[in-house]
Amino acid sequence: MIYGDRNTGILVQGATGKQGEFHIGLMNAYARQVGGKGVVAGVTPGKGGQQVHGVPVYNTVREAMREHEVTASVIFVPAAAASDSIMEEAHAGIECIVAITEHIPVHDTLKALAYAKMQGSIVIGPNCPGLLSPGECNMGIMPAQLATRGHVGVISRSGTLTYEVVDELTRAGIGQSTIVGIGGDPLIGQTFLDVLHRFEEDSETRAVVLIGEVGGTLEEEGAAATDLPVVAYIAGITAPPEKRMGHAGAIVEGSAGDARSKIEHLQSLGIPVAKRPSEIPTLIQGML
Amino acid sequence: MKLLEHEAKNILKEYGIKVPAGVLIRSAEELIPHLSSLGDRIVLKAQVDVGGRGKAGGILMAERETAVKTADALFRKEINGLHVREILAEQHLPIQHEYYLSITIDRSSRQPLILFADAGGVDIEITAKERPEAIRKVYAPPLMRDIPPFMLRELAGSAPKEIIPVINKLYRVFCEKDALLAEINPLVTTPQGVYAADAKIIVDDNALPRQGIKMNRDLTSREREAEQYGFSYVELSGSIGVIGNGAGLTMATLDLIEHYGGKAANFLDVGGGAESERVMHAVQLVARLPSVRVIVVNLLGGITRCDEVARGIIAAGIPQKVIVRLAGTNEAEGRRLLTEKGYEMLDTMDLVVQRAVEVAV
Repeated sequence: MIYGDRNTGILVQGATGKQGEFHIGLMNAYARQVGGKGVVAGVTPGKGGQQVHGVPVYNTVREAMREHEVTASVIFVPAAAASDSIMEEAHAGIECIVAITEHIPVHDTLKALAYAKMQGSIVIGPNCPGLLSPGECNMGIMPAQLATRGHVGVISRSGTLTYEVVDELTRAGIGQSTIVGIGGDPLIGQTFLDVLHRFEEDSETRAVVLIGEVGGTLEEEGAAATDLPVVAYIAGITAPPEKRMGHAGAIVEGSAGDARSKIEHLQSLGIPVAKRPSEIPTLIQGML
Repeated sequence: MKLLEHEAKNILKEYGIKVPAGVLIRSAEELIPHLSSLGDRIVLKAQVDVGGRGKAGGILMAERETAVKTADALFRKEINGLHVREILAEQHLPIQHEYYLSITIDRSSRQPLILFADAGGVDIEITAKERPEAIRKVYAPPLMRDIPPFMLRELAGSAPKEIIPVINKLYRVFCEKDALLAEINPLVTTPQGVYAADAKIIVDDNALPRQGIKMNRDLTSREREAEQYGFSYVELSGSIGVIGNGAGLTMATLDLIEHYGGKAANFLDVGGGAESERVMHAVQLVARLPSVRVIVVNLLGGITRCDEVARGIIAAGIPQKVIVRLAGTNEAEGRRLLTEKGYEMLDTMDLVVQRAVEVAV
């Protein structure tokens, strides 16, 4: 598994909001089930002293870190303040920051990512479902009951499509090491390349499913730089040019980032590309 | 959102970048009082959001004497199916040389990327293929307000030094106006100085509220409704309506329809936590597309409550067939409700799409 395990103490920013509260409940239910630490502290400015599902809430990240051992965080803060949350956490020294929030203006993300990099923090997302290492930890909003522990890493720009693929893998008896939703925005922290490098270092991961979509060239760049066995799926072969397909980053601009050119590029690297999500288990089975 | 040329040029002017003297007109007559100030030759540019506008006949040159007549002709034209409602009438510039300048955010390096080329007036992708040596590029440090001077010199190369401040002014526009793209093509030198002869700015949709910018094009009634409910919605031309949750899953559903030989009518992502009323509105919205013969609902997720979704589908009460694939909480109850009312439910994405394609043909 990568980015965290059952010993990872998680901080949640935006802990007292509807989303934060709901998912602290789910994350900690999972932590209890697998014997992990889970969410140990919450932060919402002005709400210090409250509790959410028994988790103490602080006014600032610094305050929370004085009281708890925290190495990762999950952000549910609304878009207007989410980039500030990323920077506050990077400033406080949190190693791995997962930003769930959608609709953060790209220029805010640009600055927050640059600052996080300066501080030596890594950012997953924004606009992502987070990550899940079955049997170890749940840092985000993925439905953990669909996953099962095993040796396939999953990297995806999507949310529900990832659940679909994980469900198919589990039904086919293929377990997962870590499932990472890297986010649907045009600008994201960890890219396919970064996550693939982590999987290379991970003894449990033997093959990787890469779920991409139209927009940008991050899928090709990542796949070209790894020697791990990879199976890919690219969504958006029917996406018309210059239209945003739900995700801010899912747009074909000029001749760049269309699904066909991505698929051809991946195939030229010798990577099998599934025509349908349901083909993925068969293709990955051949690599294990 | 892409700004129209005149909107983009107003922003450039605000930041001290010269643009040709011009006037925005909504009828040919409105041009008459401005004829004397625009010079002997006038450029008439239709303000429509069309790529390759010049080739499509959206830009016309005219002498002062015939300009009103030419403007009238342009107002009667359709440019790639769009009516011409506004024309930007501009002075014709005595151009010495054309350059290309653009700023975007590079997804791979996560930095602003500035491109400058000695060849302007043509598509940068063509220059990249034919004369790659004409393009210079620089990645700007994201946490600085300005581009460092050495980078500006590197970009400008042997171009006249008057170009340099224009590059940094456009960078300020890019950062302060939340642009995803700020492009001047061509950027031209004239005896009177450096001018932005054309301008393209795309503003980040997520920043429109704080920029105080309103949507600049008329939405169809369906698009307006989708926006109101917070659906991501794109209209296509096929006969199979699509409702999904999550952008990736919805796109994959569209692709699967093509894979099995059908054509999707739309893309509609209802988003997370789809409760019955939202689902009802989504189904009714898609059913109003005239080409839709059957609707595929493909919803999946931990927090989606299937009984809520089922109630929404039933409440929509539309004439077309709805074929459903649901997975999530309260699945059995959702299934019971739908089957009771005679809806078809299938277990996988593949099956639901295959069935819809059968029904549509």
